[in-house]
Amino acid sequence: MGQAHIIRSNTFRWALAVAGVFAVFVIVLFGFIYWQADQYLIARSDKMIGSQLNFIAGLPSERRLGAINDHLKQDSRGVQYAGLFGADGRKIAGNLERFPPDLQVNDSVQSISVERTLPAGRETHVVRAIARHMPNGDALVIGREVDETREISHVVAQALALGLLPALCLCLLAGAWLSMRAQKRVEEVNQRVQRIIAGDLRERLPHRDVNEPFSRLAVIVNGMLDEMETMIHALAGVGNDIAHDLRTPLTRARLALERGRTNATTLEQLQTVVDKAIANIDQSLAIITALLRLAEIENSRRSAAVGTVSLHEMLREVCDIYEPIAENKSIDLRVGLQQRLSVRGDRDLLFEAVANLVDNAIKFTPEGGRVDIELIRGDNETAVRVTDTGPGINDQEREAVLRRFYRSDKIRSAPGVGLGLNLVAAIVKLHGFRLAIHPGPGGRLEVICPDHQSG
Amino acid sequence: MIPRNPGSSTGRGANAFAAAENEPMTKVLLIEDDSETAEEISAELADRGFEVEWSASGIEGLDKARSSRPDAMIVDRLLPGIDGLTVIEALRKDQVRTPVLVLSALGAVDDRVRGLRMGGDDYLTKPFALVELVARVEALLRRPAESRETTLRVGPLELDLIERTAKRGDRMIDLLPREFRLLEYMMQRSDQLLTRAMLLEEVWNYKFVPATNLVDVHMGRLRHKVDGPGESPMIHNVRGAGFILRTGP
Repeated sequence: MGQAHIIRSNTFRWALAVAGVFAVFVIVLFGFIYWQADQYLIARSDKMIGSQLNFIAGLPSERRLGAINDHLKQDSRGVQYAGLFGADGRKIAGNLERFPPDLQVNDSVQSISVERTLPAGRETHVVRAIARHMPNGDALVIGREVDETREISHVVAQALALGLLPALCLCLLAGAWLSMRAQKRVEEVNQRVQRIIAGDLRERLPHRDVNEPFSRLAVIVNGMLDEMETMIHALAGVGNDIAHDLRTPLTRARLALERGRTNATTLEQLQTVVDKAIANIDQSLAIITALLRLAEIENSRRSAAVGTVSLHEMLREVCDIYEPIAENKSIDLRVGLQQRLSVRGDRDLLFEAVANLVDNAIKFTPEGGRVDIELIRGDNETAVRVTDTGPGINDQEREAVLRRFYRSDKIRSAPGVGLGLNLVAAIVKLHGFRLAIHPGPGGRLEVICPDHQSG
Repeated sequence: MIPRNPGSSTGRGANAFAAAENEPMTKVLLIEDDSETAEEISAELADRGFEVEWSASGIEGLDKARSSRPDAMIVDRLLPGIDGLTVIEALRKDQVRTPVLVLSALGAVDDRVRGLRMGGDDYLTKPFALVELVARVEALLRRPAESRETTLRVGPLELDLIERTAKRGDRMIDLLPREFRLLEYMMQRSDQLLTRAMLLEEVWNYKFVPATNLVDVHMGRLRHKVDGPGESPMIHNVRGAGFILRTGP
């Protein structure tokens, strides 16, 4: 993190820009104050010399000389000018050597430059002056130096230098500090991220104060990382489940074949062994097929097949198909359809989902039990409810049943691949519907289709 | 689409039937790039009395299909050079209507496959049971002819498609709509081995394999109605393979 780095950083550039704008603003402000003060001082001195001229001009001619001399004597700072000149331009009194050549005798205040002889030498001064013809033909000139405004400008410049320079330095320092701090945070985050990339999934971004934007961002990213860590662990778990579930039937097949090869003495014995092996291999293949189907549904954005699905017709069909199966198990399968309801969706997939729910319900309900399929209209939603008198799904199992391959310990012996509810969940999610699993006793699962999805 | 317990049957039922028909040898063209799979399929088909020709690539297969005019084709979807579906499309453009069974490792049924099924061809996902393959090839070869008959007859069995009634001899059979459809499908394909997967696809319109053995339960009920006490059975269960409707034993 070199100095060039800090200067190039955005934070620092912003600080620089703000400092620049601030400086320009202050300079303009001071300029305005200077201009206003200048105007005011000139106007005041103009008024003063006007009244002095009136006063001296108003005196009888014999007292004017005295008045001019008095006037000049009172001026300790040496800023006053006065002069009385004869009609031929000859100086009668005052501190002006000669009549100022660029002064018009028209009773109005003008800016002129006059030369003055001092012991140090000759000097040129800018002076506000006024001139008037006296009734006897003389010309009276009254003037005043306005170099006071120059003093003011000097003071203003000093104030500027004293105030502005430290302020600018402060700005730059603040910019550099902020920039450095941001760089440090970025570097810190970068180090953590590199560690996450390297595989340390438990690493999190540093954060201090929640009100600070940077920390809030870190908290958000940490939340995302938590989610991803859970997902990655879940995926790893799925991988293990798949391996385990595939291994079981394959091991059985292998053992059967190995033993059959050594022990079978007749063709019938060998065929029995091979049948067993094929059945186990088929079980493995069925798992793979189900997994691929699951992946296909989860990844698909099936929109081509979306249409209006008449749920009551679909449920009746599911019921028709499963009725004989329920009857074989002496299960009372009933379908309750109070009204005709439709949703938008992929009919084949929804059929598959409901068929899976009913299939599960019948499978896990003991003989003599009862399975109900109902179509319910709720507040702004339509629901398909499948209720059974089986063991149900308790709170601890609720999350687990949606995990791939999960099968409750109570029902390990039931046939099936163990992906049925996963398929249902994937289909339901694809449609933007919800799958509700109610706690026991008895199983109660609902596919809830909100109206805004069905519109 | 794996039947519950396939492979255990040698499919003698179907074989016996194939031998009974005294036709010239049926020629099947197999386009499959995996030689081991091709060998097994060829051997099985030869056992069932088919004459099998094998090509390992799409281009070679296309040439053979044009020159030797097979009765049916089995085409792998993924082939080196041009893929299986392109081969079929090329043939159809030439007005070659040979029925095709497409084999594929892809489970997803996309639009091209849907088009294939509409055209009367069939699609089988790998891995499959050999019985399933043979049953489907036979079904392709003996597609029911377009007929205007409104009454189907197999032995003593009679199905009125207009009145929606079924009779065995003089005995009326009371059928539910789904049972009627199942019996209709079986009577149109009497003496043919129908696998569970075929029945699920065609009669129940299922696009997936249900966990429970649906077909067996429904078939059991239909058989109970069709084969009354004392009558000789017509619906036969070929162990591990599927079902056949026929008059003989």
